[in-house]
Amino acid sequence: MGRVIDLRVSDEPSGMVDDWGRDPGLVRAVMQLARLRWDVAVGGDQRLPRRKGALVVVNARRFALTPIFAAFAISEAVDRPVRFVGRPDTAPVGAFARRIGGLLEHPDEVRGALAADQLVVLGAEHSEFDVGRVDHAIVGAAVAAGVSVHPAATTSSPLMRAARVEIGTASRSPRKRRGPLTELELADRVRLDIATLIDELGELHTGTPLDWLPISGIGGG
Amino acid sequence: MVMGGKRVFVSGVGGELGTLVASLLEAEDWVGALSGIDADPPRRRIHRTTFHRIHPDEHDRIVETVVDFDPHVLVHVGVWEPDARAAPHLAATLTDQAATSIIGAAAECASLEHVVVRSGIEIYGRARHSLTRPDESAPLQPTSEWGHTVAAIERTAAQVGRRVGVTVGALRLAPVLGPHVPSPLGRLLRLPTVPFSVLADPPFAVVEDRDAARAFVAAARVGLAEPVNVVAPGAITALQAARRGRRIPVPLVGPEWRIVRTLSHLAGAPIPDHVAETLHRGRLADNGAMRSVLGVEPEATTTEVIDRLYHWPSIIRQPARVQVA
Repeated sequence: MGRVIDLRVSDEPSGMVDDWGRDPGLVRAVMQLARLRWDVAVGGDQRLPRRKGALVVVNARRFALTPIFAAFAISEAVDRPVRFVGRPDTAPVGAFARRIGGLLEHPDEVRGALAADQLVVLGAEHSEFDVGRVDHAIVGAAVAAGVSVHPAATTSSPLMRAARVEIGTASRSPRKRRGPLTELELADRVRLDIATLIDELGELHTGTPLDWLPISGIGGG
Repeated sequence: MVMGGKRVFVSGVGGELGTLVASLLEAEDWVGALSGIDADPPRRRIHRTTFHRIHPDEHDRIVETVVDFDPHVLVHVGVWEPDARAAPHLAATLTDQAATSIIGAAAECASLEHVVVRSGIEIYGRARHSLTRPDESAPLQPTSEWGHTVAAIERTAAQVGRRVGVTVGALRLAPVLGPHVPSPLGRLLRLPTVPFSVLADPPFAVVEDRDAARAFVAAARVGLAEPVNVVAPGAITALQAARRGRRIPVPLVGPEWRIVRTLSHLAGAPIPDHVAETLHRGRLADNGAMRSVLGVEPEATTTEVIDRLYHWPSIIRQPARVQVA
């Protein structure tokens, strides 16, 4: 894949955009703002490849912007640009999302980024009480690009600043397949692995009815 | 022909890019005889290339010249970008005439082995939900006049390749900028005031003329048989470019673009639809195949090319060697 101007996040100059239109200066500003609300701890980041691309799949809640803030948190932890899947293609929201690292939810778009050794965060479908379905077409893009797919659990509380992103070891398809069943089974495996990670984290609870509301900041179990 | 090596024919050799391609081909060991045509004479001295000044509508002369030369390799650079050297309608007509005559004539040559044509990343189009950074496998959905023109060139070349059994490669160039390259995007960015879309200000990539010329030479050398994007790494937005060039950025929202396009035209920098599309929707492309297929890497990043754009002098004044008055 092409030579991508890919600096460490801490070295990226302001006033420029990278090959996908991500603006490091704007990303830093948004991260500073996000820090006012959340104090995100990232675990398991050593499991991500140091230079190669990888797809990280996180659990998500509706309107919680989980993939965006997970991408920011992971980016800070690994000191590499991290992109997220799911920007709209309409200005000005789509243009802003592109500036902070958004990719279109299109398998070819994601495959291109992964093949160019980028880290990409994908949110599972929204589900209030369970981990939602994982888009197997995007997982297929990772398979096509030959990169690993990592499950990640995100938890947060509506009343506290503390939040957590825990990245698991790369998920593996239970059987070796030659055709598209690979991505279907891998997507199901990732979903199960995320659920296991959330169980291991011990979900954060306030002990109030707020736990039933989908209002937490960056996702939740 | 008494010279050893391959006979290479370059169309559009009078343009800046064509002249650069010819001068780089002259230095290649594998190239024997070199010949080229264009409606205008070459922009700089070329030593080994035989130049034929022929207008694209002189079909018979083009066919006679190409068939007489009987090239092994045809490098077709003779395309007219809208509002670069000709108005959009004339540019499309000239490009179509040249493509039909030159590629058609090459098909009649018994020695022909390989064709390389100039195309553009405008071929991917910028419709809603089109890929941000398409690679060569992305669907071709041109959304501008120039995009349709380059798609037609690729189609013509591919049909000829299939019919006569020769390999055809297409170089899909990002907007080409260079000190002497007539580029509507380059002219616009060099205006004292640069309009940009305040709601989107999307990123785009460019390529320097020398890097594009190196890609053509590599494509001819390796016998490229597929399309390859030729794009400098990195990206920039119109606002960032204006700031780097110390121009006054003019934020625009929507309806006033029509007025700005008219004013820009009057100022000598018309904004054709593919450039307007670049400013509204951006234009990027994956350049991975440049290295893996052609074995070349751009020497200048997009940001460096834009910085150079603002440092290239407008007019170079050379005093007379002998003062006569």
